[in-house]
Amino acid sequence: MLGFIKKDLAMIKSNFKLLGILIIIYTIMGFLGKMDISFILPFMSVMIMISSFSYDNYNNWDAYAITFPDGRKNGVKSKYITTILMVLVVSLITLILSFLISYVTTKSINYGETLVTMLGTIFGTLLVLTIMYPIIYKLGVEKARMAIFLIVFGIVIIGGFLVQYIDLSVITKSLAFLENYLGLILIIITILMVYISYKIALHIVMKKEY
Amino acid sequence: MENSLEIKKLSKKYDNFALENISFNLPKGMIMGFIGENGAGKTTTIKTILNIVQDYTGEIKIFGLDNRQNDKKIKEDIGVVLDDMFFPEILTPLDIDKIMRGIYKNWDSSLFKNYLNEFKLPSKKIIKTLSKGMHKKLEIATALAHHPKLLILDEPTSGLDPVARAEVIEIFQRFIENADCSILFSTHITTDLEHVADYITFIDEGKILLSKTTEELLEQYGIVKCNKDDFQKIDAKDYLKYKKTKYAYEVLVENKKEFTKKYNIKVIDKLTLDELMVLMIKGEE
Repeated sequence: MLGFIKKDLAMIKSNFKLLGILIIIYTIMGFLGKMDISFILPFMSVMIMISSFSYDNYNNWDAYAITFPDGRKNGVKSKYITTILMVLVVSLITLILSFLISYVTTKSINYGETLVTMLGTIFGTLLVLTIMYPIIYKLGVEKARMAIFLIVFGIVIIGGFLVQYIDLSVITKSLAFLENYLGLILIIITILMVYISYKIALHIVMKKEY
Repeated sequence: MENSLEIKKLSKKYDNFALENISFNLPKGMIMGFIGENGAGKTTTIKTILNIVQDYTGEIKIFGLDNRQNDKKIKEDIGVVLDDMFFPEILTPLDIDKIMRGIYKNWDSSLFKNYLNEFKLPSKKIIKTLSKGMHKKLEIATALAHHPKLLILDEPTSGLDPVARAEVIEIFQRFIENADCSILFSTHITTDLEHVADYITFIDEGKILLSKTTEELLEQYGIVKCNKDDFQKIDAKDYLKYKKTKYAYEVLVENKKEFTKKYNIKVIDKLTLDELMVLMIKGEE
């Protein structure tokens, strides 16, 4: 499986420059007290990984990968692991920069709030992964982009409807006792949804013909 | 004789194409040429052997093991070149070395680098800048560098010039000097096979037309060239196919010796695989 991870990292290495530039822009904007774009950085790492699916498709890599020992399983597993590692590394870099920016500009660091914000970002980013990857394996990158657009559009419509017509304060009040455990809950939900997504993607790939 | 590959009654249906009852064996230490025109089913058969294509009926055994139940174990010992596959263009041959080290237990970096030298492949140039022939050689070097026991090659010589083809064929011959190693070699450049293949398996429209030793095929089969009168004297059961040309009839016979005895026709040309393919596919019955 290490070979698959090396292949993906080698393929996307040219995108690391873009990520580096974004990190620099984030740092400068942070010091200048402008807009906080920290959420973009982990999200960009998922987008970069999604581009690796396009490369694979273009090169007919998936069919070739099946000729390797445990090729189907290792191919899927490595995509998830590489993406999660990239998201975590980029998030860690962003977190350290956030602390630094906060310390330099305000002479204080709000560890708790920054951490929860970052956990929320990781959660949101990996949510994209969990929805996108099984769809990509099923439909291919191009159709998956359209599918994710429809899904997001659907969520916005349904969310808008719920906010407008249903009193959500009852739910938020009844769940208020969970506020202290928000970080932990996010971590558990993230792990669960990534695991379920991986299992679905694996099931799709194990049955797929190329 | 022990077989590296055994296929029994393999069938696979698509909407507009089907593999029907494919059966053949590839003994250890042998090279089998797998021939047929484009779209005959060569690539589908190979993809089925490799489990790239699934949901088929029949039995495929590699090294005596069921290919679906022992997929991981079998694939450690198989080297593959696929016709429609390409390495990612932005990688270098050295990247391929690093990647394959993490894929095959027996990956041999020094052997891979020897092949790169032998094929004069630059190790640090990105694949995008390599010619089609160099790309093919890189695929072959990759297929060989984990000491496989079976090579499954789909059109491995396509895109290679005659000199490069000769180099590659020589490497295949060296590979099967080890009696445990075998090669299944699909191609439509049949001249490559006449010199190296021990067996020829011929597929057309998803059916195996014949699977024999090359010697048997080239020695026993023949082409009778005769005029219309002589052709009309030949019993239909004594030939396989015939083709009418401008001046003569070309008749494919399965057993030259028996045919000459029976019909007293002395001129029977030795067959080439190209002629066999053309007559079997385009000839009339």
